[in-house]
Amino acid sequence: MTHTSAASSTSALRHRILSVATLLAALAVSGCKGGASVTVDISVPRPLVEPMGVAVGMYFNDELKNYIHEEDLADFGTYSIDIGASQASVFAQVFEAMFGNVVPMVKQRPANVSEDDGQDAALVSADGRSVEVEGVLAPSIEEVQFALPDQTGGDFYEVWIRYRMEILDTNGKALAEWPLIGYGKANQRNYGSLDQKEAGLYAAAIWALRDAAAVLSFQFHDQTAVQGWLASVGASSP
Amino acid sequence: MRSKPLTLTYVLGAFCLAGCGVQSTTQEVRQAQTDLGDHSIVILSRKHKTQGETEDDFVSCVSGNVNSGDDSLPVLAEQDFVDATFPWFEPRTAPLTMDDLSNVINRPLLTERIQEIGVRYLVWIEGTTQRSDESGSLQCTVVSGGIPACFGFLSWENGANYEASVWDVHKGMNVGTLSSEASGTSFVPAVVVPLPFIARVRQRACDKLAEQIKGFLGPA
Repeated sequence: MTHTSAASSTSALRHRILSVATLLAALAVSGCKGGASVTVDISVPRPLVEPMGVAVGMYFNDELKNYIHEEDLADFGTYSIDIGASQASVFAQVFEAMFGNVVPMVKQRPANVSEDDGQDAALVSADGRSVEVEGVLAPSIEEVQFALPDQTGGDFYEVWIRYRMEILDTNGKALAEWPLIGYGKANQRNYGSLDQKEAGLYAAAIWALRDAAAVLSFQFHDQTAVQGWLASVGASSP
Repeated sequence: MRSKPLTLTYVLGAFCLAGCGVQSTTQEVRQAQTDLGDHSIVILSRKHKTQGETEDDFVSCVSGNVNSGDDSLPVLAEQDFVDATFPWFEPRTAPLTMDDLSNVINRPLLTERIQEIGVRYLVWIEGTTQRSDESGSLQCTVVSGGIPACFGFLSWENGANYEASVWDVHKGMNVGTLSSEASGTSFVPAVVVPLPFIARVRQRACDKLAEQIKGFLGPA
């Protein structure tokens, strides 16, 4: 009886060891080429900047609000970074700190004009109020890139977001345009090995969004195109 | 009679209980008197570098140690400070020199916010813990009966080097520099089962740096 029990427990132990070994092997394989999928839905703190006394609108197109970067890397797996959900809240927070009066805008085609007429839709207040703004701030994403420590040989997960910032009139015509780049990195040494790719890319994407918000707050007035627009509306830098 | 490897394991075990041979050195350079009063401090890491970035858990360890014990000092968490002063202390915008700091803290909105959160001293930490000089080898195999077993001996050196610059936000000056270094050798002897004896150099460097910060900024 004792002998049977010992044999049974040895068999159970062997089974358990084999299960653990299989699990570890699966994790090792997935860790090498599993890819990662992250969704970033955050806001940023309100920037401490002096607001300008200019009434502006802000418009976020659907492409921006639903932006997902997907990339299949031959040796490193498939990656998906969903940053769309954060865009409106991040830019709204920055614009509201930078300007005294910010109106959310939407695109609306006049009732008697069809899409086929080739006429651009007008930008109007989202709540239907009649408002006068000096320009409408409209960011869009041109490109997203990321890098993994395994690719670069460094310590960091890195994310770059390249935006095209535009100031439009209410007919959608560009009054000013300039590039904005947000860069974020996350040290792989701050994360455990099991969920490191997700955690690292998530943190790097957050830092990239914060960086874009910070750079926009700081460098807005330094842009030649912006200075021309500010002069045209009779506003000066704070 | 005990086997030689087993005896070696016991010796190393006893050695590691006494700290695994971690040696530490601290240094302090004071450039001005400090007076924390009823203000608080923030312990931050530099995040602008492309390599050698200080580990988040080291900063948390130092903050936690400074903020605990009988001689604890009030510490505002790094992320709370960075959020409260956004966007002035982000990785790409944080002041790197005293001139930069003077320019930044002279901005009325930021001055007001720093007064509001009651921060007087910024402690900037730089440095990392690195592993080096690995030697020996460890081999694991499945022996008869399907049970894995490891044999061998592995050892490596760890070195922790950290430096902290203490900035007085009110005076806009660097009031001192503290440094904490620790090194030690870790071992993994294996006779069937590997037994790691890890030299906790980062923990030692953290403990020592926290003690230094308390001594430097605490009441005389």
